[in-house]
Amino acid sequence: MKHHEARRLFGAYWDDETTQAEREWLEAHFAGCDACRAEYEQFTRVIEAMGTLPRHEVAPDLLERTLARTRRMTPARDVLPERRPMWVPVTAAAVATLLVVGAVAGLIGHGFLGGPGADRVATRSAATVRQVASAVPAPVRRTTLVAGGSLAAVPDSIFDHSDDVEFVLDPVTLKRGRASVTRALPGGIRTEQAVVSF
Amino acid sequence: MKVSVPVPSDRDPALPPILSLSDEDLMARVAEDEERAFAELVRRYQGRIANLVSRVLNDRECADDLTQEVFIRVHVHRRNYRRGSKLSTWLFTIAANLAKNEIRRRVRRRNWFSLDALQEVLQDSAMVFADPHEGSERTMERKQLQELLARAIATVPEKYRFALVLRDVEGMAYEEIALVLGVPGGTVRSRINRARNMLKRKLQPVLRREDTT
Repeated sequence: MKHHEARRLFGAYWDDETTQAEREWLEAHFAGCDACRAEYEQFTRVIEAMGTLPRHEVAPDLLERTLARTRRMTPARDVLPERRPMWVPVTAAAVATLLVVGAVAGLIGHGFLGGPGADRVATRSAATVRQVASAVPAPVRRTTLVAGGSLAAVPDSIFDHSDDVEFVLDPVTLKRGRASVTRALPGGIRTEQAVVSF
Repeated sequence: MKVSVPVPSDRDPALPPILSLSDEDLMARVAEDEERAFAELVRRYQGRIANLVSRVLNDRECADDLTQEVFIRVHVHRRNYRRGSKLSTWLFTIAANLAKNEIRRRVRRRNWFSLDALQEVLQDSAMVFADPHEGSERTMERKQLQELLARAIATVPEKYRFALVLRDVEGMAYEEIALVLGVPGGTVRSRINRARNMLKRKLQPVLRREDTT
């Protein structure tokens, strides 16, 4: 048991990591135990042999390779200053201009700028519009698929809407996730059916 | 007579030169993305890290790759380094963890040489050392012993091996080894002792033959 205890202290004794009491005890044991002294002799030779092991020489380009990898990992800084997208202010200005023009046109159309004679101007304007509408040739008039509609032949802009097609979608009800077209349409209305899935 | 020394434009003359910086200050500069500081850090520690990895794995080819990986980890986590803790401890902890992973990967692949194979090598070598006519070739014997020793280290169980190499190859203090391995100081002491005794047993045939010559 004493030998086992002594061998447990070999490493710490070599490294001078024992307590004073452990050191004194081990040295006293060595004085009377040849076997443990011989064991310790071999033990120290192994440690000394460890110290003679050649150091590993790193490859000369290890540093450069390591730096190259870190450079690849680090994102490059932007050389050019960040450009603000130009379409945002241009679009905003265009929208603002349209709104102002639209508002002014609306005020004029409703006679709010006209003062005491505005009603007369408005009546005259409406009459002019009707005359223009009747004078507009057929292709210019708006076409709808809704039979009997009174909206036909009302010019609503300066653009030619003669080729436009207005779709009137059938009302659809959903039942258990499936769409079904409601058949109860007003009499006399003929429709082309289509199911549009989203 | 005044002599003006040109200072590189990318360097603040008020800052101390990189080479004279302590490890902590160097790491602080690395955290500020200074590449020259990182290069100096690699220069300072690449040899020690590679040596540790090489001894633990007994694989010189892999040592460089793993050493590079250690420094890449350092670079990635450069801002996580806590000022006040020892840089070498942090580096060796990373190296030890990567080496442990590599050992486990190799064990899984089962391409690591077995203990039985090593015993055969050791016995064969002991026969070579027993030949008295070759006693004069001390250099060759020493090289063979080193080779055997290196292979014997690689067969010591992992947890003892790291303590052994950090102490006997890298010369670290017990306290620092405890920090690197994350175990108490008493555990380090017992692991080192057990590892050395294991190594002694593995090299017993060689040591006995040397005693008789």
